[in-house]
Amino acid sequence: MAIGSNLWLSMSFTHLNVSSAYSFHFGTAKPDQLAQAAASFSQDALAITDDNGLYGAVKHIGACLDQNIAPIVGVRLKVENRGTVTIFSRGHNKGIGWAALCKIVSKAQTRAQGKTKKEIAISEKDLSELVVLDGKPTCTILLGPESDIGQAVIKANATVAARKLLDWKELIPVSECLSVEIVSHLTEPGSSYSTLQAKRMLQLALTAGLKPVLTNAVRYLEPDDALTGDVLDAARHLEPLGIFTPQANAQAWLKPEALMKKLALEITQSQELATKLLKNTEELANALRLDPVSDCDWSRPKTPEKSALGIEGNPFEVLWQKAHSGINWRYPNYSEDKLLPVRHRLHQELITINKLGFATYFLTVADVAQMIRDMRIRTAARGSGAGSLTNYLLGISGVDPIEHDLLFERFLSTERSSLPDIDIDVESARRHDIYRAIFKRYGGNRVTLLSMQSTYRGRGAVRDGGLALGFEEDQIDEIAKSIWRFSARNFRGMLSKKPELEKLAQLVEHDRRLNLLVDITERLDRLPRHISMHPCGVILGNQDLLSLTPVEPSGLGLPMSQFDKDDMDPMGMLKLDILGVRMQSSMAYAIREIERVSGKTIDLDAISRDDKETFRQIRTTNTLGVFQIESPGQRELTGKHQPTEFNDLTIQISLFRPGPMKGNMIAPYLDGRHGFVKPDLIHPDLAPILKSTQGVVIFHEQVLKILNVMTGCSLAKADELRRTLEKDQKFVEKFFRQNATKRGYSKAVVDRIWSVLEGFGSFGFCKAHGAAFALPTYQSAWLKTHYPTEFLAGLFTHDPGMYPKRLLLSEARRLGVKILPLDVNKSKDEYLVEKTADGLAIRMAITDLHGISNSEITRIIKQAPFADLADFYLRACPSRATIKRLALVGALDELAGGSTDHTRGDILERVRQLTALKSKPKLDENQPMLDFEAKEQMPSGFAAISTAGQIQAELDLLGMDITDHQLAKYQPMLDQMGVVRSSELVGLRSKTEVLIAGVRVATQSPPMRSGKRVVFITLDDGSGCSDATFFDEAQSRSSGVLFNTKLLLISGKTRRTGVKGVSIMAENAWDLSQLWQDYRQKNQLVAVENRK
Amino acid sequence: MIQVDETVKVLTNQSGEPVRFSWRNGSYQVTSRPERWYSRKPWWLEASRAQRGIGAQVLEVEMWRITASKGINSPNQFELVHSQADDGWQLVRIFG
Repeated sequence: MAIGSNLWLSMSFTHLNVSSAYSFHFGTAKPDQLAQAAASFSQDALAITDDNGLYGAVKHIGACLDQNIAPIVGVRLKVENRGTVTIFSRGHNKGIGWAALCKIVSKAQTRAQGKTKKEIAISEKDLSELVVLDGKPTCTILLGPESDIGQAVIKANATVAARKLLDWKELIPVSECLSVEIVSHLTEPGSSYSTLQAKRMLQLALTAGLKPVLTNAVRYLEPDDALTGDVLDAARHLEPLGIFTPQANAQAWLKPEALMKKLALEITQSQELATKLLKNTEELANALRLDPVSDCDWSRPKTPEKSALGIEGNPFEVLWQKAHSGINWRYPNYSEDKLLPVRHRLHQELITINKLGFATYFLTVADVAQMIRDMRIRTAARGSGAGSLTNYLLGISGVDPIEHDLLFERFLSTERSSLPDIDIDVESARRHDIYRAIFKRYGGNRVTLLSMQSTYRGRGAVRDGGLALGFEEDQIDEIAKSIWRFSARNFRGMLSKKPELEKLAQLVEHDRRLNLLVDITERLDRLPRHISMHPCGVILGNQDLLSLTPVEPSGLGLPMSQFDKDDMDPMGMLKLDILGVRMQSSMAYAIREIERVSGKTIDLDAISRDDKETFRQIRTTNTLGVFQIESPGQRELTGKHQPTEFNDLTIQISLFRPGPMKGNMIAPYLDGRHGFVKPDLIHPDLAPILKSTQGVVIFHEQVLKILNVMTGCSLAKADELRRTLEKDQKFVEKFFRQNATKRGYSKAVVDRIWSVLEGFGSFGFCKAHGAAFALPTYQSAWLKTHYPTEFLAGLFTHDPGMYPKRLLLSEARRLGVKILPLDVNKSKDEYLVEKTADGLAIRMAITDLHGISNSEITRIIKQAPFADLADFYLRACPSRATIKRLALVGALDELAGGSTDHTRGDILERVRQLTALKSKPKLDENQPMLDFEAKEQMPSGFAAISTAGQIQAELDLLGMDITDHQLAKYQPMLDQMGVVRSSELVGLRSKTEVLIAGVRVATQSPPMRSGKRVVFITLDDGSGCSDATFFDEAQSRSSGVLFNTKLLLISGKTRRTGVKGVSIMAENAWDLSQLWQDYRQKNQLVAVENRK
Repeated sequence: MIQVDETVKVLTNQSGEPVRFSWRNGSYQVTSRPERWYSRKPWWLEASRAQRGIGAQVLEVEMWRITASKGINSPNQFELVHSQADDGWQLVRIFG
């Protein structure tokens, strides 16, 4: 047969060894890119074989299904003592291959668990047991260049290699389970991946009677990606390029069929052998092709068995009963008349749930929710699940969907068959307890944690790029810091656009390495970097779960699936989002403190939701610490909006999002609300839908209702149309126009509504989600209003907000909540509420002291109280640094008899004495023993510490300025400059020129309608927060201090944003500490002048 | 092994394989099938750009290992570098 013969030309080729970007720090191409390329070469199958796992497998199968090619899945894995091989699941065997592959990966991963530091590898024994089941082959192993035989043909002689291959045959006696992989990357003759190695492997396989197959050990899509590969290699080795041995060349790309055939000829030097090699490859590929449905149970929903849920009989009947028995609980004392709509709605929901066969799913989630409540942990639902009455009755969600006008169809409908997401918020501090309880309740074979793929973003890409090029860490830090909210993909383009990159842009022009760094940063952007535990996902399945997903140990010790959230739907896996919310922990803490200190029991979920005092507090815009509405933007919106009821909070939370802001929906809503304009409700039929939002369409639910009313389609169909709107507007437009016109709506009305729907696209928000969020917003505002001390203690302890703790301190000052200093006799590891003569106060927790260890904290709490300094030193055994720091922040004052008896200087001197003693434990007998008990030992006469020094110590060691606000020391300069305090701003006219100063507490750069970047900086000056807005010009004027400087002076003009709202249109900004230095120098000069 | 770095003139056949080259006034006849392979360059030390799409030539070098002899002398192994950009040839190594 000649090269041009028909048989040769018609032979196909399948790539069997392909590392995707999910081989972390190795592969460069995403599965969809690879599948697309294979399909464009007219290849009808493609493998994915990532390192140590099936991280990209589900995405690969999905991509292959999209391209209509057959998926093949394997893993590149070390076999103990035998080098790295590729192990494939064989296909069309009802999943026994897939299960075996999952178990091989899980076994190899679990072996590396714990402190043993073993590498990830499978033992020969485990491998040989798993690749065959009841005499049938489940998997096929490919022995390639990195296997022991691949290395032996290069480094040892042919006899050694042949013997090793014989060992393999003995270990894996079933012939379908073993093949030899022939690869040539055309590297230097005689080295790994050279043609010579391939030739020898081929000879070896033929002699041993094993079938050789051809691959290209692919790690990138195109030769160009080899450069990216170099950088990834550096990141993997944690060494700069040039230190480790780099990849040999750029041949490991997804070569088209013609080039692979040429390679086959080059290796075999024989048409006949080349044909055989290609034929073997196709035969093996055929045996490995997976049928996603029968092999991986693709997309079929899986839930725990009835027995695991403790239910008997028909799950739907159980669900029916459970939901109905919730009616009395949720709607107590309702007349039958009033219950009629409740029952009607419930029946409709249950019918849908039954049609979809999701009864077990709801029972599962309800069971978990009940378990969490039984653990006495606060929970709340989030997301569209709050739109379901069934969820409300089962106790999964806490918002009444009927009262708040939320739609079930937005959550679940017969038009979709995928499992809906039900997300549960819990106290963050208890999340891990819940995970463990779930594992215990359902068994380790039905539960795994969900994983998450982290991808390279700007800063990470710069860091690893910088490492590869051998930059100093400081220099990279500097550059990384300047990357702010833009995609690294456009790094070069941004250099000329962003004022804060101006300096870097100049350097890049002259520095070759920096120039390269820009290019390779762009290359790394968006590549997966590593896998980690998803912050909230748990997968709950049936007892076959571990045959469907490989697992690996997580940081928590519990097994974690190698699949991520995007893989759940295709795999039909049930994912529960159990999100730890610090606000829930803070609120639970506040309630416990209220009970501990005053004995009052509060059921936060049962409090009235129309407390006037709470809304009055919200309207002052002093919402720091309140869930969802504490950010500068939300505070500004609160000032304009002036919410008066629960539904207003739902609206406000939904409005303050990129979509509505871009869509300019906020202004018309506010204008309508304040009566500046009469809301346009477009058509009487739509008035009931649009009235509550002043004619503005904010919610998905409104879109559903509009479509329902105007086209007559069902709400379920309407939700499908809403989803389609994002992908195929034309289709929806046609449907809408046709049906609305048919129902008699005028062209003008149809046009108007369509323009609203058209623009709606990404703008809208699910009202159920907004309402679910509004609940903790209201609850936290209620606590702040009625129990500010306990609430702040919760905030200090669980730190839920976006601001640094020291801003909470400012807020406490503003509210008149007293903060008590650290005291080793009273402080604990939480911020406790203490009763004092002047009422309640908050005692600082020991945990915030810089550098203190957990064991020191435990000892101090356990051994307290202490009689004096020596007693503390002996029994709490603090390190020298810790005791000194405790002294500096005043935590030892009480041990010296209170600050009136001794100065901070005396205490520090005593600490010095004691720590000096410790270093000489055996004292000279002739010397009089220092009496540890005696207070007389306290030195006296040492200088007290200045207030400024004390504040500095507090800032350095606690991160909080407790004694006074840190701006206080600059006051003389600020007064001279005429700087306005933030609390005075509200009394100023619009467009007044002002100077404001303070500590930066937040920097935000939200997406704007115009697409231009706007930077918001929030300063705290002790009297409250002020917000400054920087547009283009102001940004370039202040580029040096815009993002990193902590203490700022900002000039600008006031801008009224509502009844209670004022913000600053910034013109320029300066570094306050720099100004202070200049000021002091000048004053000293003046002082010297005066003396003359 | 001797390291050399000199431009040479190479005659190739239709598939681009060297058949003869001249070096320092000598003409060398290739005596067995030449072996093409690919080596690499430390682009991080040399290149000024590495943007996406710049291509593998920043990284990769085409090499030819050939056995050739001058006249009736016994053959030696030579290594040539072929630059695809300008179709130039460089003799880099002679094996003993």
